[in-house]
Amino acid sequence: MAPEQPGKAKTSKAPPKTVAEFTILPLTLPTLSGLPEQCKDPKHYIYVKPHMPSVPTITDERSLFVANVPIDATETNIRTLFADKLGGSRVERVEFDAAIPAQTMHKRWKTDKAEKKDNEQRGKKRKRNEEALVAEGVIEDEDSALPSIWPGELRRSGSGAIVVFVDKSSARGAMKEIQRAVKESRSIHWKSGDAALGIERYKSHNTLTYPTPSSLQSSLNAYLTQFNALETLRNKHRKHARSVPDEDGFITVTRGGRAGPARLEDAEKKKAELEDRKKKNAVKDDFYRFQNREKRKEVEMGLRRRFEEDRKRVERMREGRGRVRPER
Amino acid sequence: MAPPATKRRKLEHSDEEEEIEIDAVEEDGVDGSDVSMNGADEPDDDEKIDLEEDNDESEGEDLEQDEKLAPAVKAAPTPKPFKRPAASIQDGVYTSETFKSNMFKLQVDDLLDQARLKYGRKEASAENAMRTLKSIMEQIPGRDALSIPEAEQALKTSGVAVPFPHPSPSKDTQYKLQYERPASINATGSYPLKLATRSDDRFSIDLVVTMPKSVLQDKDYLNHRYFYKRAYYLACLAAGIKQSKEHKFKLSYELLNGNQLQPILVIRPSGDGGADDFSNSRCDIHILVALPESAFPQNKLRPTSNCVRQKQNEDESTQKAAIATPFYNSSLQSDANVTAYLKLLHATASKTDAFKDACILGRIWLKQRGLGSRMRKGGFGNFEWAVVMALLLQPNAGVGTQALSPGYSSYQLFKATLQFLVRHDLSKKPFTFQAHGITIPKNEVGPVLFDGPRGQNVLFKMTHWSHSRLQLEAKTTVDMLSDSVFDQFDATFILKTELMTYKYDSLLEIPLSVLHLDAVTEGYEQALRDTCRKINNALSHALTDRITAISFTLPDEEDWTIITQQPKQKGSKRLLISFATDPANANRTVDHGPSAENKQEAASYRKFWGEKSELRRFKDGSILESVVWSAKDGGATVIEQIVLYTLKHQLGAQVAEQAKFSGDQFAGIVAAGRIQGQSGVTPFLPIMNAFTAMEKDIRDLEELPLQLRHLRAADPQLRYTSVEPPSAGHCPAPVVMQFEGSGRWPDDLCAIQRTKIAFLLRISELLLKAKPDYSARVGLENPSQPAQNQAFLDITSAGGFTFRIRIYHDREVTLFERQLKDSTLDAASRESAASSLALYKREFVQSPLHSQVLQTLSTRFPALSPSIRLMKRWFASHLLSPHFAPELIELLVVRTFLQPHPWSLPSTATTGFLRTLAWTSRWDWRNVPLIVDFSPTFSNNPAELEDTISRGMKSEDLERVQTRFEAWRRIDPAMNRVVLFAATNLDEEGTTWSDKSKPEKVVAARLTALAKTATHAVRAEEDRLLKHINDAKDTLTTTLSPESLFSANLKEYDIVVHINAKHVQKSAKKRESEVQFKNLEIQQAGRKDSSSTPVPLLFAQELLDIYGDSILWFWDPETLDKIVGLWNPVVTGQRSWKIKPGWNSEPIKKKTCEKEKSKDVDIKVNKVAVINEIKRLGGDLIKGIEVKA
Repeated sequence: MAPEQPGKAKTSKAPPKTVAEFTILPLTLPTLSGLPEQCKDPKHYIYVKPHMPSVPTITDERSLFVANVPIDATETNIRTLFADKLGGSRVERVEFDAAIPAQTMHKRWKTDKAEKKDNEQRGKKRKRNEEALVAEGVIEDEDSALPSIWPGELRRSGSGAIVVFVDKSSARGAMKEIQRAVKESRSIHWKSGDAALGIERYKSHNTLTYPTPSSLQSSLNAYLTQFNALETLRNKHRKHARSVPDEDGFITVTRGGRAGPARLEDAEKKKAELEDRKKKNAVKDDFYRFQNREKRKEVEMGLRRRFEEDRKRVERMREGRGRVRPER
Repeated sequence: MAPPATKRRKLEHSDEEEEIEIDAVEEDGVDGSDVSMNGADEPDDDEKIDLEEDNDESEGEDLEQDEKLAPAVKAAPTPKPFKRPAASIQDGVYTSETFKSNMFKLQVDDLLDQARLKYGRKEASAENAMRTLKSIMEQIPGRDALSIPEAEQALKTSGVAVPFPHPSPSKDTQYKLQYERPASINATGSYPLKLATRSDDRFSIDLVVTMPKSVLQDKDYLNHRYFYKRAYYLACLAAGIKQSKEHKFKLSYELLNGNQLQPILVIRPSGDGGADDFSNSRCDIHILVALPESAFPQNKLRPTSNCVRQKQNEDESTQKAAIATPFYNSSLQSDANVTAYLKLLHATASKTDAFKDACILGRIWLKQRGLGSRMRKGGFGNFEWAVVMALLLQPNAGVGTQALSPGYSSYQLFKATLQFLVRHDLSKKPFTFQAHGITIPKNEVGPVLFDGPRGQNVLFKMTHWSHSRLQLEAKTTVDMLSDSVFDQFDATFILKTELMTYKYDSLLEIPLSVLHLDAVTEGYEQALRDTCRKINNALSHALTDRITAISFTLPDEEDWTIITQQPKQKGSKRLLISFATDPANANRTVDHGPSAENKQEAASYRKFWGEKSELRRFKDGSILESVVWSAKDGGATVIEQIVLYTLKHQLGAQVAEQAKFSGDQFAGIVAAGRIQGQSGVTPFLPIMNAFTAMEKDIRDLEELPLQLRHLRAADPQLRYTSVEPPSAGHCPAPVVMQFEGSGRWPDDLCAIQRTKIAFLLRISELLLKAKPDYSARVGLENPSQPAQNQAFLDITSAGGFTFRIRIYHDREVTLFERQLKDSTLDAASRESAASSLALYKREFVQSPLHSQVLQTLSTRFPALSPSIRLMKRWFASHLLSPHFAPELIELLVVRTFLQPHPWSLPSTATTGFLRTLAWTSRWDWRNVPLIVDFSPTFSNNPAELEDTISRGMKSEDLERVQTRFEAWRRIDPAMNRVVLFAATNLDEEGTTWSDKSKPEKVVAARLTALAKTATHAVRAEEDRLLKHINDAKDTLTTTLSPESLFSANLKEYDIVVHINAKHVQKSAKKRESEVQFKNLEIQQAGRKDSSSTPVPLLFAQELLDIYGDSILWFWDPETLDKIVGLWNPVVTGQRSWKIKPGWNSEPIKKKTCEKEKSKDVDIKVNKVAVINEIKRLGGDLIKGIEVKA
């Protein structure tokens, strides 16, 4: 390891205990075989503070913000961590900010357009009440979602999480317990717990990648039903938007009526046709003398410009590889 | 008359001319100080003009002539050749016609500035030495006429041997040898003409000493008499210089251009730092002995005359039958014409502005092609180049219209000279210049360019093979220069072309000792020439169209001390013959000869081939003499068999035994790397057949929901470019399926993806019903992006080949683009739309297109597929593969094939691979995009293909790509997103395969470094080989084994994760060897686990996701026995506290200010915890992890 890595002598000098508003909680990692000498006695550091987002939500008071969670953190093993090692506070849920595979990405309209409401989704990305406002597809429910192809999620290295406790006092208790643990330099062990790791993780991924046709089919059916319902809703919205002027008196132009590729192609064809006709009828561009003169000037300017460009290019090349010199 | 500016220029010219004439032409009595030719000690050009105003008048006539020729001269006067003013706009705009392009012109200017000799302080010391030498030589006392033995003896006492040419003079000759003060001593050659170029080797300055007429007799041109006198004269000069006490020089003899008739004296600096030491000029002074002009009658020395009489038949009657001695005559003439040519060149240079520059370009061109004036280098060098060009510039050159005009730019002169060389096959049809009434006999020795006024064949030192090599090089260069799109400057001047490893495919090494050259009477050099000619004839006759070029590399000659006669050549030297093969014909096993009925030809055919020739009856009923070669795998290649057989049959068994043949050394690295038969794609036939069969089976399905339009391959395995030819149990090969258009698709991306799943389920159901021996299953992908493709269908054929079908719906692109433009979407959504669109275009549009192109190119260029596979193996073995899209590597190799300049098309895997490597090592990707032009074969617009004129990219297309590239560099100058830029005429975006830092800048730099190392190793190997042919005692123990380029060094990596052997992938070969029975293999193959992604690969990919850019991961996708990582120093360096640095951090106290505890906390990567994490994630998959100490 790098020389500045704390050796035996240095480890006695304890790492800092707080930074900014965060309390630094060292976690002792399990010792594993097959690792080099330097990696004995591994410690992982998480940074904890009460959750105080810039846009407050109702769960803030009973939440802690944890930064630098281990990559194999799951709701279960965080829950166990607090329950068993840190005073037994009860965790309601954990919201991670990065997952592998990433959370499903639904395209959305800009949030300031519609009123927002809190739902089970965390933080800024709140699910809109009206599902119709998802830009495409639908938000799948259990039936319509495709079967998961990974046995569990992992975290990005150095990502954070919000731990929501059952009530305000549990959250405070947990925070205090953490501070105490840090003060006493208690060693707290991290356990992977139920996270799916190792060969099993990948083997099961290889199996999960190929779900049974029947399960696929049923999820498809559910999805398409959901989608059709939503599409009807959306069409209604569009129709509404087409007919009702907004507060400034404008009517929003929206998609609707005849849909499908045919329309677009027609439009493009027409456009090309129009351009053709325009060209035919227009005055030819070598008709007047000034046109010729300007054209010549343009050509010359073009030559000039290109020469300048080329010169710069050659200069850059010279910088890149030194002087032009025949290879030996 | 011309405006004053032109006048002024002319004045200067006349001034220079005058100066040279003083030195070069003045017959006698020049005092020592004038030997220096102009240049260094000149005070100032302008001053000179004033001083020598009167010369103007005397040159009046010349001037008149000049003015007539001048009008076309381009308006960029260059008064001081080596201080060219910075290129101005005017200069550039007007030169776009006279030069290839602005870029070309600017680079040529740069090159000329670099190459010209500065004639500065360094050279002054050499000029001093020349003056000293001149005064010494003028003071050497004359020697009385002595008979040959006496003369030899006299010189021996002063420790100097006479370098008599072969055959040595007999002791009883009647004539006497004599020394008298030289008629003149002048500098000649390129130095005084200001044509010399700077190079890394030492250059030489020629000092020509003209013998006085008094020592010669009229008949001296006969029977080597002149050459004996010349040798004696030279020896006397050597003795005189040696005896001069106050000056010290190192003296040795050498042969002028390797012509044994013309020994010369080489003066080297003593190196003692004394007054005469000219070491810092880095040059040698050559003392040549020349004949005074018109010493002998011209007509006696025509190429048709005989000047070496046979001893026994000196009487008149037999003289008519005497064989002409053109080589002897030309050698003699070349001694007489030294001054004449100097005059010619100087006159041309003063008439034609660009002549000197064109000469310098020619010199560079020749040097890069390994051609030189020395006979062993081909006999066509700087002098010949300049003379040919000068002759072509003369009015009435006899090439119909004047070949070259004095108004040409240096580039035009250069190109036109090459064109002349290409157009005229001087070997077959001699070219005569102003030589009326002179017939040139048909000779077998070499090409003829007869210069009438000077009565000499300029090319007399050339041989057939060197001439055909020259022509081939000229042709390639002319082709290159006619390329209207790409500027071929580098290929023309910068690249060293004559590299055996890049240019040729096979090498044959013959020790000179087995050729018994000493036994022959005509002398060693002549014997060597004859033998080479014989070998050349035999091999070219035997190999016919299998080879495109054959080249001889002869060991260098050495100079020898003036104390002895020329020592015998060491027998340990070797002859190297290189072949460039034509891949389409090289491996043909049967050669058809003449029909049996044609008795005469059949007999000669039989005579040539000996017992190998047999009479065969062919399918079409013809009965022909033919030769059959075996094409066993692993055995000698057909070429090797032919070469060795021919040597044995034509030159003796001993020669064949001692000869060493090598070729295509790297091909063994990949399976089936050697091209077999006529194509390089044979090993891929099984999977291609399986694919065709599957396509047919799917098309035959009747109840498909929509009509099938295309089923297109989109994978290296289906375009002949995967490292291992796929065998049962390989990774699934992606295929893109497209249906006929339909209005019934939903108009929503997510819904489209679900509809595709429904289609796939349906197809799989139908296919399994119709053809139960397939197995098929639908798999899922991209779980977090519902708008991207969600599912694929893996179909495994009975033979074990698996194809991964994805459905292509062309409406998606419109939907993605609409989302991109939709300002009502939030930023994250639009970003997602952008990356989805890029993925979509890559997977469904570019990849199938690229595959199709590669399929066609691979069948067109047999060596392409093995070269690509070799290159990919190289990337993989250096663990770079995960960072480079396979398509990007393929484009690198394809470039080598589509723009092979300055070489011809690669015809083996080795040349294709090594040239790609060399190009990669030179690729300045920061400033230069990779542009591949497929268009002779493929185009976006099918109409263009019909129209032959518009084939190829146009310069506008190139301009567009270049602009795009420059835009990227402007947007992202730090190259965080796009590092390599690779565009084709089909994909002008240039970032399809390299967007999102694939590779990152560090990795690209590593690629360059690795390629450089490999290229250096290859060059070092080549140098070693050249040394080896010069002296075999230096045994080739340290040869470069091909494998050594393919071994990675793990020491440089921070983390090495060893994968448990149980889970390491087995290579295809091992897979096969484990299965003993074919039927078992078939049963095992395919079916269950075969087509799933290997576990270590999934692990490696997850590491990428987890650690993002904080750790760079490398692995070899073929073996995956280890995954190695490098901490990204830019990202993971110690820094001040931050909540989300994007990596696992460890807090440390900042040492400096411990008072404010809370604020001063730094973080750095918690390496221990990361290693622990990796092990936790990998579990049993990991055998162990090593960390760099």
